[in-house]
Amino acid sequence: MKYLPLILRNVFRNKVRSIFTGISIAISLFPLMLLYAFLDLQDDMASSTAQYNRVAVLHEGGLAGQLPIAYVDRVRRQPGVKDAIPLSWFGGNYREEKTQFAQFATDPKVFFEIYPEYACPPDQIAAWQSDKTGCLVGSVIAENKGWKIGDKIPLQGNIYPVDLELTVRGIYDGPDTADRSWLVFHFDYFDESLKEARTPNSGNAGIIMLRTESASKMSPVMQSIESAFASSDAPVKPMTEKEFGASFLEMMGNVRGFIRMTATAIVIALICVAANTMAMAVRERTREIALFKAIGFNRNTILGMFLAESIAIGLLGGLIGGIGTKFLFSLIDLSSVDPGLGMFYVPWRTALWGVALAAAIGLFSGLIPAWRAANVSVIEGLRKVV
Amino acid sequence: MVPLKYNIRSLRARKVGSLMTIFGIGMVVWASIFAFGLSSGLDKTLEIAAEPLDVIVLRKGSTSEAVSAVTEKAARDIKALPGIATGSDGQPLAASELVVFAYLPRRGADIKVNVSVRGVDAVSRALRKEMTIVEGRELKPGVREAIVSRAMSNRFQNLGLGDKFKVDGGEFEVVGIFEAGGGAVESEIWTDQRVLAQIAKRTGAMSSLQFRAASVADQERLIERIKNDEQIDLGALTEKQYYAEQAAQSGLIKFVGYIIAFVLTIGAMFAVANTMYGAIASRAREIGTLRALGFGRFSILTAFMLESLLLCLAGAALGCLAALAVNFLLGGIQTGTMNPGTFTEVAFSFDFGPKILLQGIFLAIVMGLIGGFLPAFRAVRMKVVDALREV
Amino acid sequence: MSDYHDAVVQLLDVTKGFRRDKIEIPVLTNTTLHIPRGDFVAVMGPSGSGKSTLLNLCAGLDRPTTGQVIVNGQNLGQLSEAGLSKWRSQNLGFVFQMYNLMPVLTALENVELPLLLTPLSRSERRKHAAAALRIVGLEDRADHYPRQLSGGQEQRVSIARALANDPVLLLADEPTGNLDAHSAEEVLELMQSLNEQFGTTVVMVTHDPKAARSAKRLLHLEKGTFVQADIEALEASR
Repeated sequence: MKYLPLILRNVFRNKVRSIFTGISIAISLFPLMLLYAFLDLQDDMASSTAQYNRVAVLHEGGLAGQLPIAYVDRVRRQPGVKDAIPLSWFGGNYREEKTQFAQFATDPKVFFEIYPEYACPPDQIAAWQSDKTGCLVGSVIAENKGWKIGDKIPLQGNIYPVDLELTVRGIYDGPDTADRSWLVFHFDYFDESLKEARTPNSGNAGIIMLRTESASKMSPVMQSIESAFASSDAPVKPMTEKEFGASFLEMMGNVRGFIRMTATAIVIALICVAANTMAMAVRERTREIALFKAIGFNRNTILGMFLAESIAIGLLGGLIGGIGTKFLFSLIDLSSVDPGLGMFYVPWRTALWGVALAAAIGLFSGLIPAWRAANVSVIEGLRKVV
Repeated sequence: MVPLKYNIRSLRARKVGSLMTIFGIGMVVWASIFAFGLSSGLDKTLEIAAEPLDVIVLRKGSTSEAVSAVTEKAARDIKALPGIATGSDGQPLAASELVVFAYLPRRGADIKVNVSVRGVDAVSRALRKEMTIVEGRELKPGVREAIVSRAMSNRFQNLGLGDKFKVDGGEFEVVGIFEAGGGAVESEIWTDQRVLAQIAKRTGAMSSLQFRAASVADQERLIERIKNDEQIDLGALTEKQYYAEQAAQSGLIKFVGYIIAFVLTIGAMFAVANTMYGAIASRAREIGTLRALGFGRFSILTAFMLESLLLCLAGAALGCLAALAVNFLLGGIQTGTMNPGTFTEVAFSFDFGPKILLQGIFLAIVMGLIGGFLPAFRAVRMKVVDALREV
Repeated sequence: MSDYHDAVVQLLDVTKGFRRDKIEIPVLTNTTLHIPRGDFVAVMGPSGSGKSTLLNLCAGLDRPTTGQVIVNGQNLGQLSEAGLSKWRSQNLGFVFQMYNLMPVLTALENVELPLLLTPLSRSERRKHAAAALRIVGLEDRADHYPRQLSGGQEQRVSIARALANDPVLLLADEPTGNLDAHSAEEVLELMQSLNEQFGTTVVMVTHDPKAARSAKRLLHLEKGTFVQADIEALEASR
């Protein structure tokens, strides 16, 4: 530790170089943090919803299959099920916007039973429940679209040949990991519109989301539901909310593979960049290193000093890049790019992982230069002029 | 002008430093090319499919075949309209098609995803000339058979030649594998339309009607006609418009890819600047000498900008070669994702065409010019007298 | 003294000082100097007496605080930065103590370097450079890199580079400072012969009395002013 002041002074003796290296690490860390935060957030969401014991019931044929609305009551009556709601994906277009956001037809009476983490003032809940064309929107999507209580929201059907005209009756909020970008409305209104339009696919519950009475009931409930509908026209596939969420990421394709590959390329690039910096530092200070040795510093001390310097530069970049990215994303709003990104943030563990990664980059990039420094010959070094 | 060989040899003289920088830039260019290649590959899938004269008729307001419905009567009416190109048999080049989903597991994963199954009629093949059977045989009408694209066959369990898979409870056998030179068709399974309609209990209405107009003028006229005909009451758009609409759905992937490339380029600029600062600091005396010999400031500036550019171009070459090598070794990188609009599988290949490589090279040039500017400027501003005294 | 009108170097009432931490340190004060065409002047003096400043002023690498520097009829104060660069490439040759050859260029390429600033074609440049190398006796080392040459050879290459563009004035800054006695002698002989055969005016700053002896004339700088001296008197005083 007594060498610390010397090491720090060395870090900043060539300010421009150290800072540039730090910035280079920090900036390149930024996309890396972005990608890993995305994965970590998926995990966070999955684990934070685990306590609510929710199960999604899908048609065996996947999301495109149709579950009769009558199934909701049948599911609700299964032993161990607390309650259940339909979540029927409407997929309408809002104005001329190309990007879609989640719109579900559901049961307003039961909705908050299934999603107790969603918070909404009781008067708004009551207003929504009593207005058949009313809808409830998440705080993130409301802010993104500039919706207020009482606003009319026209949705043009895309999957279904009906247009809906909804009125915002409530805005719900929730913890960071909760999806606050939904728009939910009365299933009855939706279904009546379909019947009016005489389309064959009315009465479609989409998926059924249920809560079990306790965590231990989840797998028996899933088994009993699966077998209860096995021989019906529409066999079902229940999965936990966590599995359901993971399946979406899976459907996106090899996301993890792509992220890992990009991350590897970035880390290798950064090791090269930082190693070059350290190599320059060693080359420049050859004479000085020889002098240190002449005075009596041993190889290991010199090795350690250069490694520490390299790690310090890595940490400098890591702190700016890791912690900086976290704060940057608490300031900027990505929901204009995609409404689903409105909730995006960088979890602390991702940020700290970034800092650790940067320190590791510093360590690895310093190995060879530090080893060369430790092996500078005193006689050669002192003679060397350039 | 300072001779270029002075810069090239100077880069060579600082072997380790130059190589490290080149390698770092190469990695950044490589990652960027991958990101570009991914989003371009996805776009191409949709672009290639579009035949300029083709029109697709859908239910009013729907943007995808998967959620559209066209009644048999409307289809008949439209086929009778003048202005539709005719095939060699004198029949109009128009096909009613039915699109439903199969729910199939990807290879090496237990997760199932939606896959488009297209029920086709006799004219469908004539509308997609680039399609060829590469293994097995053609579909026979009236039986539960399917042909599958090479890409989907590779990506999904149960889609190999001779395998059987289920659609809405009905079982189909894969009798042929086709290729279509990229394009949306490569994400599909084809079966006989009538057989599929029966199994999916979709009678009376197909998903879409596709036809080829005889000319551009006919195309415009027919689209207007269909849109405004109250009897038909359907929407029509050119195939090009249809796929452009689909492509808009992949905006997020593109956004992420470009952000990564953009940010990494800035990061790399600092690395380039560092290397060049180092190069210039250790060559102060050389720079002083050049100035004393009569080389002007502009010569020095261009010389070091060129050196920086050379460094980055070498990195770009490395990045491009790495991307091409990986692509070559793997025989093209095929992958797939979900179309967020319809939740169906889109199979596509990374695009490492000249345009994508040039984008990577362009990034390297930007790195070289911007990253090299400050150091080169420092070289220019050096006082000759002091520079000559540097050790 | 010499013929005023045929002076290659004229310093007219030149004062030059440096600012170090807000203190003005005078180096040359009200100096006037004429160096006629064909002269070979050695400038001696203790460290900090202004020798290098004198050379830098003559080369237009530095500008006087007051006064004028006229070289080969050109008032250097009237030239812009770019103008000075061009002027240097046409009128000056440099020989440095540390040779200052580009380590990545061969001997021939180093000699060719100043010729790149002339309109000569590539083959003409090569011919000129080869001729210059022949003059310094190193034609057989044309393809060697500086690190493959001895110090004396490096300095001879640097002299070849200095004479490649046929300069009016050759400025040498401690040309023998890094050389052994034998090499130093070779280099000095070379400069003498250039001065005699081609009439190139030479101004050489040196610490080495032996080197000074090869000059036609000796100027002694002390505290910023010139003292006429002759080498014998100088040596006797030591």
